[in-house]
Amino acid sequence: MPPYDDWNKIDEEEDEELQDASFFEGKRDVVLFCIDCSESMHTMREDPENESAQTCHLFTALQAAVQIQKKKIVVGPNDSVGILLFNTARKGNSRSSGGSELKQNVLLYQPISQMNASKVHDLIQLLQAAKEDPCELSKTFPPIKDRRMPIGDVFTSCNWVFRDGAPKTATKRVFLITDEQDPHSGIPGARYQQLLTSSRTTLVDLVEAGVTVEPFFISTEDKPFDINKFYSSVLMPTNVTEEEDIEANPHVLPEAISISRIEDLLSQMRIHEIPKRALFSVPFQLGEGFTIGIKGYGLVTEQKKGSYLYFVDLGDRLVPAINKTVYVDEDTEAEVEKSQLAFGPCTGPGEEAEEEEGSGVATRVVNEGSRPFYTAEEVKSFRTLGLKPGIKLLGFKDRTELQFEDNVKHSLFIYPDEFSYSGSKRTFAALLKSMVKKNKMGLVLAVTRSNSIPTFCALLPQEEKIEEGGYEPAGFHLIPLPFADDIRAAPIEEAYRASDKLTTAARAWIDKLTVKTGTYPPDSYPNPALAFHNDQLQANAFREEYDPDSFEDVTLPKYDMIHKRAGTLVQDWKAALEDEPTINVVAASGVKRKADVGVDEAEIRSKHEVGTLAKLKNDQLKAFLKSKSQPVSGNKAELVQRVSDWLDKH
Amino acid sequence: MPAERAGYTVTMFLVDISPSMGKVRTVHLPPGLDGEERFANMTSLEWALQYVKMKVQDMIFGGRKTEQCGIITFGSETTNNMINQTNGGYENVYEYVGIGQPNNGTIAKLDALQPSTVSGDPIDALIVGVDTQAEYMTKKKTWTRKIVLVTDGESPIEMENWESVIKKMNALDISFTIVGVDFDDLQYPYEEPGKSVIKRTNEEFYHGIVSSLKNGTVGTCAYALQEITCPDVKVSKSALMGTVLRVGDIDGHPDEAIEIAVKTTKCTTIARPKSWKKFAPRIKSSKMEVDGEEEKTEFAQLRMRTEYYVDDEDIKMEDNEEDLLNNSTMDNDQKTKSEHLEKVEKEELIRGFKYGTTYVPCPDGQFPKLPTRKGIEICGFFPTKNYRRDYAMGEISYVWADTNSPQQQAALSSIVQAMYQKEVVAIARRVTKDGMDPKMGVLVPVTLDKVDCLLWTQVPFADDVRKYSFASLERLVSKKGERLTTHPYLPTKQQQNAMDIYVDAMDLMTAGDQDEEGIPQPWFDIRQSYNPAFHRVKQALFHCAVVSDLKRQPLPPPHPELLKYFNTPPTVIAQAKNALEKCQDVFKVREVPKKVSAKVRRNDHAHAEEEDDGQLLLLDRKQSPGKPQPTQDKGKTKATESDGSATEEEEEEEEQDYGDKKDVLLDEEPTVRGQRMAPLPTPARSASPQSRRIREQNMDVDDEANVGQIDPGRIPGRIIGTTDPLKDFRKNLEQGDIVTKAVEDMGFVISDIVMRPFSWRRNSELMECLREMRNVALKEDEIETWNAFMKEFKTKCLNKPGNPDFWKEVEKAGRGLTLISKQEADRYGGLSIISEREARDFLAKH
Repeated sequence: MPPYDDWNKIDEEEDEELQDASFFEGKRDVVLFCIDCSESMHTMREDPENESAQTCHLFTALQAAVQIQKKKIVVGPNDSVGILLFNTARKGNSRSSGGSELKQNVLLYQPISQMNASKVHDLIQLLQAAKEDPCELSKTFPPIKDRRMPIGDVFTSCNWVFRDGAPKTATKRVFLITDEQDPHSGIPGARYQQLLTSSRTTLVDLVEAGVTVEPFFISTEDKPFDINKFYSSVLMPTNVTEEEDIEANPHVLPEAISISRIEDLLSQMRIHEIPKRALFSVPFQLGEGFTIGIKGYGLVTEQKKGSYLYFVDLGDRLVPAINKTVYVDEDTEAEVEKSQLAFGPCTGPGEEAEEEEGSGVATRVVNEGSRPFYTAEEVKSFRTLGLKPGIKLLGFKDRTELQFEDNVKHSLFIYPDEFSYSGSKRTFAALLKSMVKKNKMGLVLAVTRSNSIPTFCALLPQEEKIEEGGYEPAGFHLIPLPFADDIRAAPIEEAYRASDKLTTAARAWIDKLTVKTGTYPPDSYPNPALAFHNDQLQANAFREEYDPDSFEDVTLPKYDMIHKRAGTLVQDWKAALEDEPTINVVAASGVKRKADVGVDEAEIRSKHEVGTLAKLKNDQLKAFLKSKSQPVSGNKAELVQRVSDWLDKH
Repeated sequence: MPAERAGYTVTMFLVDISPSMGKVRTVHLPPGLDGEERFANMTSLEWALQYVKMKVQDMIFGGRKTEQCGIITFGSETTNNMINQTNGGYENVYEYVGIGQPNNGTIAKLDALQPSTVSGDPIDALIVGVDTQAEYMTKKKTWTRKIVLVTDGESPIEMENWESVIKKMNALDISFTIVGVDFDDLQYPYEEPGKSVIKRTNEEFYHGIVSSLKNGTVGTCAYALQEITCPDVKVSKSALMGTVLRVGDIDGHPDEAIEIAVKTTKCTTIARPKSWKKFAPRIKSSKMEVDGEEEKTEFAQLRMRTEYYVDDEDIKMEDNEEDLLNNSTMDNDQKTKSEHLEKVEKEELIRGFKYGTTYVPCPDGQFPKLPTRKGIEICGFFPTKNYRRDYAMGEISYVWADTNSPQQQAALSSIVQAMYQKEVVAIARRVTKDGMDPKMGVLVPVTLDKVDCLLWTQVPFADDVRKYSFASLERLVSKKGERLTTHPYLPTKQQQNAMDIYVDAMDLMTAGDQDEEGIPQPWFDIRQSYNPAFHRVKQALFHCAVVSDLKRQPLPPPHPELLKYFNTPPTVIAQAKNALEKCQDVFKVREVPKKVSAKVRRNDHAHAEEEDDGQLLLLDRKQSPGKPQPTQDKGKTKATESDGSATEEEEEEEEQDYGDKKDVLLDEEPTVRGQRMAPLPTPARSASPQSRRIREQNMDVDDEANVGQIDPGRIPGRIIGTTDPLKDFRKNLEQGDIVTKAVEDMGFVISDIVMRPFSWRRNSELMECLREMRNVALKEDEIETWNAFMKEFKTKCLNKPGNPDFWKEVEKAGRGLTLISKQEADRYGGLSIISEREARDFLAKH
């Protein structure tokens, strides 16, 4: 991670790569957990993870909220979170928080605000207490008895909470968690209809305030959840960020409704944890006069550690420093306004000596009225070659034309945008189908932003896949291809090739080490360096001691499994390798191996053990180090030291 | 042939500055803004020096200490060279710039060169060049020697003992390039008319020299200048980096674990355009002015500086939790804050991280890192076919076995071959250096001609994958839980067929050049797809380094090689023409008029005018019958009504309803299309593709205006602005009561814009304005206004400062834009005093 300063130094016109990440940072995300606190949510049941313990839906929901908060606090420190409980008899002292009076039976447990360590800590402590005493939660948040509050009132409360606490420009979302499929069951017809209507209108109000509702419905065997009972007629497809999309298609069932078992709650929330935001929205020209609208998303983007900031220590607290970047003529110390900048080439080294009066600043003198440099506008046009943002189809090629090595950066995902061009969806769907059927990929020229380089990309069709434990949306993967300038030649053209016997021996242990999932499962590989960093950050924020040994890196190979399954086969392979007739082979570099430099590891190790490494020749030491990919610089003492260090370690 | 080692070269430039080089020539410049031909006058020397400057700039650009050059002039009035100093002779040869790494000063010195009054002998210069270079390179035996001779070949050459020079040059392995001003080149092709005898002899002589050299070329300067902007890829090898490939636990089970010494090199690596340095003109100080010389402007290179400030409100402010928590007040605070900034030195600052609103100090800028060990560890294998191509996250590396150990090569080779046979790839965890953050990746087996290796690319960690959900494109479910099979979002059979045919028609697999056996190859080869930005920026950088005034010598257009893949090959376009038309016809994709974006509104940039536009567009859409998006309208009504009365029955009805409309849609005549797409209050507007394009352009303008400050460009008293006259015009007409004023103001604005510089950019827009204005004038009985305007407008355009080019455009438009005649006016019930003949002649006669 480059320090914050360097980050900032990158010029606007060149930070295309960084935009991906910083784009998201610009917009704040606000999530309000809206958790049902009714009796069924409090009912104690077996804890699936710990047989001897009991838990309840409310506990799991709160636990999920804590997890999300902890994650958000490091990933998006500017995001805000709040927790609202409904169907509880506990009265909130809403007046003291300065906000609006909420409806009855609603408790604003945490008002919407940016998160801080102590808030998260409080919630963790509450859950800790609930673990020890199962009655803790029902004592803290007693449910109302024998009835449920109108859902409309819940939505209204959410609306008020957002009005009080959320910044205008943020994306605002309610995570609605409940296990009741029909909150107004048992209420007679006319009244029921009234409640239904009020639920709808209040939800519309909420949506109009720019808030989307993402439901998490808990379904269990004892208490199944059927959305058609109540919610399907209330909820609208709201998992889309654009206002217009809400009007999308009233006939179609909202896609976002997640019915989940309580065990899946957290993983379901993970999916919705980051609000879906498009990276770009551009026209996609399939041919002259045949253009559809698409949006692009980054589905695989490297999640980096947060960058550090500079703070001023005021003695009692830290205040973040505000930084400003200015362009200065270092000779005259004059600041230059951005609009005044002219752009030119670098000037080469060693200027000073030849410059008059030893000024350190490179200058260029031209006749009055001449213009030796370009304007910002011109510089931009050199990058884009005058092309406007958009994707242009050049044609189709066989899918097999795309090689593994034709890659330089992560892919993007594109999906039709019916709201810039009507008819985009059907056209996109037809194109996708055709390409899958014919096993083709598209070749496109893409300019995704107004300042990005025109890039050739492969367009890979992705069919929708709904499988157990996996979901792949339908769309196209946009894979930026390398340019001729990006390709490096293979530096090695010839080397020793293994015999069939050795290959067969290798095949034996490779067979045993094939993974069960049959593919690369990203979910099994959380970034250890990132987690290690975040754990320390959290410990520091909570003012706790951090024990690095407690950290487990799950990305390390499963050594036990490897040795158990393939240990002996690897031994066989090693034996076969010893038998390979490689000794007399001329090394690929064309230099014959010198007889006296032959490095026998066993011999060197024995010399090391008796402390006579220094008797070896420099050449021998170097050859040994080289074979271990160690540096071979330095004098003899250093070489000996390095060899013994290596042998100690291995 | 192995790639040339970058750098390690000394190039001698031998520049002819004999009087003949002062001959003034006319050089073609890239066409001007209006496409007009442009020329510049310069001396042969100036012209030829561009080549030298480009070459020198290339070295500056590369920034290698091992790429050096020296410049020797011949035909100079003074003599200064090493042979002359020790042995005498070799007159008029001047070692102008000593050998070293070039910089801007070198370019400046080249700029200062002027044709002299005496002529010099190129062979003398060559001998001096070879010797000077040899002297400098006594300790740089492995370096490459290059000599470039720039001459017009008009000066006499002492043609004795050149054989010994050739011998020496061959012995030293010098590569020799002659860049000849107006040399004949049959291939380029160029042949100088009226060539002097001496030049003809000299050219023959040079060709003779070159043919007896191991490594020599002679070319004409024009060709050299053209080819120097051709994109070239410097083939460079990447360095071999040693690391270890591991399987299993080396420490715990050394017998059962594998450790192979490997080298990694880059396979792909992004080449980014060079960065620009920033300059600004200096305010002139009096000492700069020198008597008798032209006024000069000095540009100084700027440095970027980051300054840190602390808000002194922050210092005073008591720790006020509530204020911090209240976000809505925070925003307001920020505005007032900027006034209370106090500068802090960077040294006083502490680094730290944000944890929500909590700040965690971290003086090192990072916490202790995860302890890791350098190497690539294999975690497991999975079938190649299950590898998801879209997971590849970055550049590709090769993994080779140690080049010095056949045993290690055997080891890696066996694994690669086994993986290849079994068709699996490996999941691997890579650490590039002890203590560096690990990356996950896949290793793919590759068997080249005579070597086996692996390819590596990074794949995502769990944290890197975003699992957004998207609505299904195929499975649409109604609110009743039934799956829909017909819906405007779902392609019909007819549409699917059209698309299938189009995909086939646009196939590129045989659209490329033929190979040696005459088999057509796929179009588009990555190895020839140059990064357009990279090379264009480079060209621009070079150009402005060698040219001192961009106004006099503007940047030539990009080399065609850069753009060769920008458009589908014409043969494919032609072959897909019918399929494309069919697709346009059946899919009926329409651009949705843009609404005021929600973002702009939220940012409080909203202007009443914009709100109006939004409304206007919405109204338009409702009026247009059979609009392809009835669902959206319904969604809106539904969302706003929400009276809860919509029962399921009704919904079903709506759906029925929709089905009908769709049929209507499909039967519609294509001519209706254009109108629907851009609904207009004015009748009978032609719906040509041309006008559609114009509309799109207008929209772009709208957009820009929305983002920046919104200034309709209206001067007080006028109701039409210069920013988007057509939009203003239409809006005013819709309101209906001020037609006269609208037509008058439209005329005023059009002539205003046309008289401005760069108005050609808006030519098509202006033509559209004129058409619309005439149309309205004709129908709304403003004929007099139009005729008066046109007469005045013609005078304005054709006088100075005018815009005759625009008037030509008007002439081209012909009858549609001329004066409105009696007959024409009659048809619409208007009056005109212009005769038909007068109207016809108005445009033709000046």
